[in-house]
Amino acid sequence: MKPLDFITGEIVGILLFFIGLYGLMTKKTIVKTIMSMSIMESGIFLFYITINYTSGSVPPIGQDLSGVNYVDPVPSALMITAIVIGIGVTAIGLTMFMHYKQKHGITHWSRNRNQTGSEH
Amino acid sequence: MAQTHRLVHLLRIIFAVVGAAVVLFLFLSYSEQIDTPLMDYFTADFFNQTGATNSVAAIYLNYRVFDTLFEALMLMVSVMEVINVSWANKHAEQYRFEEDDFNRKNNSEIVIRMVGIIYPFVLLIGLYIIINGHVSPGGGFQGGAVLATALITRYLVYPNFDLDLHALEIVEKLLFLSIVMTPVLYVFMQLQPADTTLSHQIYMVAMNTLIGMKVFTGLSVIFYRFVFYEGR
Repeated sequence: MKPLDFITGEIVGILLFFIGLYGLMTKKTIVKTIMSMSIMESGIFLFYITINYTSGSVPPIGQDLSGVNYVDPVPSALMITAIVIGIGVTAIGLTMFMHYKQKHGITHWSRNRNQTGSEH
Repeated sequence: MAQTHRLVHLLRIIFAVVGAAVVLFLFLSYSEQIDTPLMDYFTADFFNQTGATNSVAAIYLNYRVFDTLFEALMLMVSVMEVINVSWANKHAEQYRFEEDDFNRKNNSEIVIRMVGIIYPFVLLIGLYIIINGHVSPGGGFQGGAVLATALITRYLVYPNFDLDLHALEIVEKLLFLSIVMTPVLYVFMQLQPADTTLSHQIYMVAMNTLIGMKVFTGLSVIFYRFVFYEGR
């Protein structure tokens, strides 16, 4: 197995998910938490749309697909809706962050309101 | 204190790395090929059953139309949240638009001219993706996003707030109502003519157009709210 064979969509998706999880665990800035959630979402999308993929398959478009090695259309149809929902979740998070910042002056997940920067 | 902080930090890094390694190991070692009954069912006879040449469109407009309905509901709820749960609503007097911002002259000349050339083509490709969503790659969501991009490029050239966001929101709610009503009448209640060859095509084009317009209005409202209300 060549080294480049390890770089498939599923493996990159899993790594992206854990990069996002690391950001959620370590960063205390609210904006960075929202960004980490978006990164986790991208990892899940990538994992899903490359699942059940065999090399050399064609898109599932055409009136007669018999005899052709075509891609599974179910994950694509699921991820189309999930991407739009991801946009909605990100928009809601950013709006709530702006509301908290303007009303309470909070930009971090901590009790210290004057905290700036992204350390710990 | 600093020592414990560093230790906790190290622990989090180790936790993330070990978690990724365990999941990758399990995925690479024990992943097995399982059967795909859903794929077989959806791709067996989708052209005769739904009239769509694109099987993804057949799934999200006919077989699994509940997904599309609730996705449209989610987008509408998020737009309502962006409009209503906003600090700028109650403090609008502090957020008056400055005239200087609208007439700023420091925009890049290259961007303005190129966007002016590209603008009609972006609209054209968005409409093409929407209308041809059931016979070729594309569909309502993608085409709606491309149309919203056209509005964002318009903001780059002409940063003026002359859109009626209230009207756009009402249009989005009416579009959601028709998105719900069309599949309920056509797919669930089976109000179809005897020969469904043409009516399936009309249903596909109509649903893709409705979804595209809904995504377009939703993304436009979110973008303009963020630019003109939240970012101040």
